[in-house]
Amino acid sequence: MKKNRNTSALNGVIIATGVSSVVTQLLTVREFLAQFEGNEFVIAVVLFNWLVLGGTGTLLARLFEKKRSPSYPRLLGWLSLAASAMPVLHILIIRALRDIFFIHGSMAGFYGFFLFSLLTTAPYCLLVGFLLPLGLLAIRARIPSYPGAMVYMADNAGDIAGGALFSFVLVFFLSPMQALLLSGLPLLFCSAYLLRSEKVTVSRLLPAAAATGGVLLAGVLLELPSITPPEGQLVDYHESRYSRITVIKQAGQYTLFSDGRPIAGSANRQQAEETAHYPLSQLKRPDSVMLVSAVSGVIKEVFKHHPENVDYVELDPEISDAMFRYNLLAPRKNVTVINRDARLVLAGSDKKYNAIIVCMPDPDTFQTNRFYTESFFELARGHLTKDGVLAFSMEGFDAYLTETDREKISVVYNTAARVFPHVTILPSEKIFFLCTNRPVNPDIPGLLKEKKVPTEYISGFFYGNVTPERIAYINLLLDRSAPVNTDTRPVLMKLMFDRWFTLFSESRHIFYIVSGLLLLIWLVRIDRGGFVLFSNGAAHMASEIIAIFAFQIFFGYIYFQIGLIVTMFLAGLLPGAWIGNRLKARSRTAIIGLDFFLVALLGAFTFLAYRLGSRMPPVSYLVFGFLVSWACGFQFTAILQRFGDTDRHATGAFSADLVGAAFGALLASVLLIPNIGIAGTAAVLIAVKLLSIIAVGTDHDKTHKT
Amino acid sequence: MTKLTRRELLAAAITGTATLCCPSLSRAFWPSGRQAESDASAGPDDITGHIFKNSAPDEPWKWAREAFDYIGTSDLKTTCMICPHECELSPGDRGICRSKVNIDGTLYSLSYGDPCAVHLDPVEKKPLFHFKPRTTAFSIAAAGCNFRCLNCQNWEISQARPEELRHYEMFPPDVVKAAKQTGAASIAYTYSEAVTFFEYMYDTAGIAKAAGISNLLISNGFVNKAPLDALCDVIDGANINLKSFDDSIYRKLNGGRLKPVLQTLKTLHNRKVHLEITNLVVPGYTDDYNMFKRMCAWILEALGPDHPLHLLRFFPKYKLNRLPPTPVDTLTDFRKTAMQAGIRYVYVGNVPGHEGTNTYCHNCKKMLIRRHGYLITQYNIKNEKCKFCGASIPGVWS
Repeated sequence: MKKNRNTSALNGVIIATGVSSVVTQLLTVREFLAQFEGNEFVIAVVLFNWLVLGGTGTLLARLFEKKRSPSYPRLLGWLSLAASAMPVLHILIIRALRDIFFIHGSMAGFYGFFLFSLLTTAPYCLLVGFLLPLGLLAIRARIPSYPGAMVYMADNAGDIAGGALFSFVLVFFLSPMQALLLSGLPLLFCSAYLLRSEKVTVSRLLPAAAATGGVLLAGVLLELPSITPPEGQLVDYHESRYSRITVIKQAGQYTLFSDGRPIAGSANRQQAEETAHYPLSQLKRPDSVMLVSAVSGVIKEVFKHHPENVDYVELDPEISDAMFRYNLLAPRKNVTVINRDARLVLAGSDKKYNAIIVCMPDPDTFQTNRFYTESFFELARGHLTKDGVLAFSMEGFDAYLTETDREKISVVYNTAARVFPHVTILPSEKIFFLCTNRPVNPDIPGLLKEKKVPTEYISGFFYGNVTPERIAYINLLLDRSAPVNTDTRPVLMKLMFDRWFTLFSESRHIFYIVSGLLLLIWLVRIDRGGFVLFSNGAAHMASEIIAIFAFQIFFGYIYFQIGLIVTMFLAGLLPGAWIGNRLKARSRTAIIGLDFFLVALLGAFTFLAYRLGSRMPPVSYLVFGFLVSWACGFQFTAILQRFGDTDRHATGAFSADLVGAAFGALLASVLLIPNIGIAGTAAVLIAVKLLSIIAVGTDHDKTHKT
Repeated sequence: MTKLTRRELLAAAITGTATLCCPSLSRAFWPSGRQAESDASAGPDDITGHIFKNSAPDEPWKWAREAFDYIGTSDLKTTCMICPHECELSPGDRGICRSKVNIDGTLYSLSYGDPCAVHLDPVEKKPLFHFKPRTTAFSIAAAGCNFRCLNCQNWEISQARPEELRHYEMFPPDVVKAAKQTGAASIAYTYSEAVTFFEYMYDTAGIAKAAGISNLLISNGFVNKAPLDALCDVIDGANINLKSFDDSIYRKLNGGRLKPVLQTLKTLHNRKVHLEITNLVVPGYTDDYNMFKRMCAWILEALGPDHPLHLLRFFPKYKLNRLPPTPVDTLTDFRKTAMQAGIRYVYVGNVPGHEGTNTYCHNCKKMLIRRHGYLITQYNIKNEKCKFCGASIPGVWS
């Protein structure tokens, strides 16, 4: 009875750690997005560091595995108690050190960010990584034959609960610190319960638990002060599903920030005029205009052309609300605000527009890249009237176009030119693209004068800034052989990644070489079982990224469904591990069979996604996620049972899985998808899994066999 | 002494406990302290560039010339004397500006006749509002800069080596010929940092001056006095970017220093080169009211009231992309402050339609020049005097 009670207390700690750590992981990713750049590379780096550090923490448990001390449960209790409060310090440290390591208001280079992420997440990740095998050792201190798979399952149960709790509840209602408080409390209680059951006196436990609770509460009190910038007054703050939205007021001016980057501000007349009038000047009477996102003041400028209706499509309702609330956009009767993914809106409507004006940032995320692809241009053209115009802009240049930017502009030009007979580039402070069926008249001030549309910036500055010489310069530099940007092969994202390095005069090759060498060293040191688990972790994480990316391409960015996909990629692990444990599956055939199953699954999913596109039922993404995670969970226990469920093997297995997941996340996001697309990424994963099959197939150690 | 509320006391107590190991955290999170804290104290203190070891080419290329002013030593080291960095280079090294290299004990400029940017701009774009208005400036730049400004508008060329960029081939006589062909009244050495292609600028300016074309130095002003004195013989106008009036901000945002820039302003003033000053107002850094007042006082004392001052609105740019744009009200207040202090011609830039883009007579306050962007829609200066009251208006008007 006592053993059971102790086991349940220990399992409770493991599950609660899973809940807290997943919520912390998701909040950490969001925090880094808010503090640095909001792109996939940042996510990949944070996840990579998180998982590698977690794997390292797991390996640290090997120092403890030689003896089974009865004090392990107590050690687990104290460390878990600390782990329940650490997320608050962890997030506060990221916020505080951001402006100590980097200059306030400036972006960070890749390597600076990488190092910062590694150092600031290290204490928490090492601890959490260490807790999982320590949990196993603690239980085995009581029940020596306790299967490692059970701990894996308990951890997964916590992870699933944490992921679902965050994606479907916390993100909607709570700020980061409130979420950490809520997700930290179960761990605090479970740790306290474990310590109490380990006969820790109340006089020692109570102050420790109170201090821990105090830290969790302090986080909530420090939420606003820790995100308030020094150069203004924070007048609005929301954690939307997509980003951190803040509004700063300074000397009567409002600036709207999304993830720390100013996206709209009072009195930015140049941006508003250029965005609205470059395309609309080409039209006699634009009746219907679609704005995909917006820049401040653009609606006022659009209405100088007297359209009958304007559809303003903004994915994040918090952004459109703030735009109107702080007068960054003027409310008009015939403006319809649509808070959905713009591609989805176009795909689900027959409405024709005279102009579609895209105000998205440069494509450094999978989401924004979708507005610079051949498919989007085709979709937009299908919704334009015969004389309609699609307009968008990209970061520009003042006097010289770098090679990276030249390639970027060329890719976009070539992509648009495959769909539109005429693509005109106007190199102002930003580079504007006008895509039409007929030639564009670049004399914008002249056209506006004819239309009697008054402007301040264009009429005064256009002829001095957008000179024929500048237009000729950029057209001369276009590389007509540059590749086309497609949904499934987002070459622009790779260029944006290159641009990040160019800005800081850094080389990405160093990163590839160093991480490749580390991976090689790791792979040389692990055994066959470790390699299979490594490939398992990599396939699991990379498949998840492929599924999310493909879903966004074909169905648009729908927060709820993507949250479901993420959850399904966790949900299968538990039943998979449970079945594997129940069946005592350890034969070579079972492991190879699961590998073949994963290969077939990846191949079939990719083939069907390409073949059917948006005709593939969305539920199939969920099924895919569940089956991949089920197979990975199953295989984890099978490997554990085949290659030995000793303490040493178990810690090695946990570690290999985490490191595999780390490299899977990094390679898929940063290297594979931007360079070789979804199909190429799936092919690489299949190749890795085939290597895993060979590794197991050539393992003739009879001691493993049943 | 300010009283603490119970909430603040609680927050402080918890913060202190929670961040015992790292005292700087408490400072960062303490609300009132944070508001009062100057931004200039956060983050790395100095981003000054460094010498690039062993990065010089083996031999000078076609567009290299021996440097204008340097000291060579017997051990083949060279010290560049063009700018206050005074880079001491061993053979094979490259200076902070990226355009000066030591090849076998001789200091070369790699930016001679190889401009990477050539454009024809309205002179108002430089900005120069009191120098031959309504004319164009043939504008050239070669690669390199001795600063590392986080908000650089031309980082593509200023933070690059000459060999890395596509470039034209235009030796000094070619530049003058091209400028003449375009009908430009002046040649502007601009975009990147003109001081880093000093030799090219100096030779071109000499030929241009002889050909009756004016020369404009658009610069950060980080140049030594001796070469600047030489340059003053051939240039006609300058716009110097006085980036702030605080040495620590210079080091932090620009990788430069204040004192040499002030010396440059004095030299240009003393040498009677037409001088206009630009000051970018960056929120959280150079928008400190007291610092701005000190700057105005210095300008008045050292340079007098007649040099136009351009206050530019900051927009997020390059690496400094996480700050809000400067509030227009701040610029309006600063303009008023500067004019009340006694500076006669203060302009507001990057704000289309702002009253501060026009020129008003310092004497009768009537509008002399109404600007609409780069266009001039009213012009009330005749024979370098106000058409209304006859006051002499500082500048080069024809």
